[in-house]
Amino acid sequence: MAKKSLLQIVSVILSLTVVLTACGGNNGNNTAAPSNNTGTTDNPTDAPKKDVSFTLAYATGDPATKQAIETTIDAFTDKNPHVKIVNYSETTSASYLDWLKTKDAVGQFPDLVEMRDTKVFVDAGKLIELPEDLRGLFSILPEYAGKVYNAPLTGTAPQGIIYSKKAYTDAGVTELPKTYDEFLAIQDKLAATGISPIVVGGKDIFHMGFWTNFFFINEVYSKDPDWNSKRTAKTASFTDAGMVQAVTDYKDLFSKYVDKGWLSTADNQTASILVSGKAAQLFSGPWMFGQIAEADPSFEFGFYAIPDRSGNVNINQLPNLAGWSLSAEGAKDPDKVEAIKAFITFFFQPEQYGPYLATVNGIPTTSAEVTYETGEQMKEVMRLVGDASANKSLGLANWYGENAIPPQFRNWYYKLLQEMVLKNGDVTEYMKKADAEYDSNVKANQQ
Amino acid sequence: MIAQLKKKKWTHYAIWFIFPAFLLYTAFVIIPTLSSVYLSFTSWDGLSSNIKYIGLDNFIEIINSPRVHNALKNTLIFAFSLVILENVLALLLAILVDQVRWFRNFFRSIFYFPVLMSGIIMGFIWMIIMNYNFGVLNQLLDMTGLGFLKADWLGNPDFALIAIILSTVWKAAGYYMVIYLAGLQGIPQELHEAASIDGANRWQQFRSITFPLLAGAMTVCVMLSMIGSLKIFDQIAVMTDGGPGFATETLTYIIYKVGFGELRQGFGTALSMVLFLLTLVISLVQIKVLRKREVQM
Repeated sequence: MAKKSLLQIVSVILSLTVVLTACGGNNGNNTAAPSNNTGTTDNPTDAPKKDVSFTLAYATGDPATKQAIETTIDAFTDKNPHVKIVNYSETTSASYLDWLKTKDAVGQFPDLVEMRDTKVFVDAGKLIELPEDLRGLFSILPEYAGKVYNAPLTGTAPQGIIYSKKAYTDAGVTELPKTYDEFLAIQDKLAATGISPIVVGGKDIFHMGFWTNFFFINEVYSKDPDWNSKRTAKTASFTDAGMVQAVTDYKDLFSKYVDKGWLSTADNQTASILVSGKAAQLFSGPWMFGQIAEADPSFEFGFYAIPDRSGNVNINQLPNLAGWSLSAEGAKDPDKVEAIKAFITFFFQPEQYGPYLATVNGIPTTSAEVTYETGEQMKEVMRLVGDASANKSLGLANWYGENAIPPQFRNWYYKLLQEMVLKNGDVTEYMKKADAEYDSNVKANQQ
Repeated sequence: MIAQLKKKKWTHYAIWFIFPAFLLYTAFVIIPTLSSVYLSFTSWDGLSSNIKYIGLDNFIEIINSPRVHNALKNTLIFAFSLVILENVLALLLAILVDQVRWFRNFFRSIFYFPVLMSGIIMGFIWMIIMNYNFGVLNQLLDMTGLGFLKADWLGNPDFALIAIILSTVWKAAGYYMVIYLAGLQGIPQELHEAASIDGANRWQQFRSITFPLLAGAMTVCVMLSMIGSLKIFDQIAVMTDGGPGFATETLTYIIYKVGFGELRQGFGTALSMVLFLLTLVISLVQIKVLRKREVQM
């Protein structure tokens, strides 16, 4: 009997331990990362001469992007030997938010961080405003609640179709589409040649946003940029005609033209599938150009924005809340702030920023003119950015301020769309589920 | 009197030996566990210092959430499938290894080898094998003229759950095999010899001698595999990320996703309380049922 009770007690403790230990323990009291700073000073102008250390993190992305940032860090520390940069960066964009939260939980939130979820970290008091004297560097400075928190690394890159020129030629496609219906006609021609028309990296949930945003911008946001805030106020619904049309188009496209393995294909496999000739097109942004060229330098590809049914071009190109941000904890040390400001200034100097933009196929955000070499695909991107007739918008989860959606809704919604396509579900019924979840999320976040 | 004094002195020393371990255990296990209980009644986002008490709201949401119901269903499917398959396979392997005359250690090592791999690495290996476009499995089917059987093993909701279950069985069975093997080797050979003389065949010997005498090992294996299965996470995170759609989301997976990815640490912690209670109830029922049939030698 005693043996039995002991076993029961052990099993209770074992169960409690394995289930709960990972979930507690952080009461929000984070400490700054260790620094070899020799002290503080009342006069910040003395700071660059003192030994100072700050921590830094960014989403490493593809190897070329990582290399571009690492090169700048090395160049900066070579010129400023008294500044030590402790680089925490070790994760890609797929799990960047999770990783940052984990870093924060263990008291290692970086002093300088590439921020992609500004609202979340500002609301939690983790970030400070971008110092006034840095703001003159930029021509684009997005604001959250009337304040600037980000030094934008690049402008928002419009997404479009990256297509294999050979596949288009083989399918007899000689002209790029002028309407969405013409685009669908091209998909039929491509499918008839036996190739998968479109590759999608659906295993990485963020990738699902690419097509979702395309249809939402065409059918909803281009007509009503404040739709998200109306949904939050319950004066708009996912069952509205425009939204149902967007999701119906999404479902049709995924059911007919997307590569069969899309749900087990990761975002970083899409370039390989495209260059291998298994698929003809990829809907993505200019950051993929380098990966595609690296996968097969001889692969010929083009880029264009897909028009809507009326022939208008609507692109995801308004500034969003992203870029280098300073942590509130790091900013308590004036020496660190000076060193970080020096680094940001250095990063955006044309000598460094130009090669960085060339590597990532980025759109400049600086006031100073930057010149760099680009390929024909990037020239088309730049043409779109400068095209006054193109309607500029943002994607579902990129809006901020009153138009911000509950942060937990995005991934849930992308999964809901996956399930709807797989189960051939009724669009309106699925959108009713989306309404219910959205309201539940809003309510939960108000607590 | 002297004996009593000695005992008291020893108890006094023992407390000092236990104290450091108890201190560490309190700091790293008991306090976080108790703080988890508190956090489950809050709306904490995991980042801010503002922790607001919201009573039972998280638990009410759990009761009403279709996503949680789906995750609970998947968790139970995983748990019961894994417990049955892992234990059946482990027992078969143990019997085979116990009876083999040559290369016994070699087979033991081969079957145990997958246990040594981390769940993450194992997940990556199986993910690569089962990838639709580049996976070895589909390429083998193509090469052997069975291309019509090709499928998106991890992208099809009908196959994804099964794929994760089978890969987990492959990884874990060797561990339970070792426990069963120890149990088999503890059964006196005389019992089998006596049964043979009485005319019992191999199946009868297994049913009437081996299986009852393995009850102790089975209690341990079933309990460990149930607890392990209820908290399955690595394989799902790597192989399917809970997808396609919500097809492979389990309680542990959404605890992590809502807690860290969706900034709802309070809700995630409430879910972990539910998982704890589920684990506790199932474990106690298992112990009660399985211990009844244990035979003391």
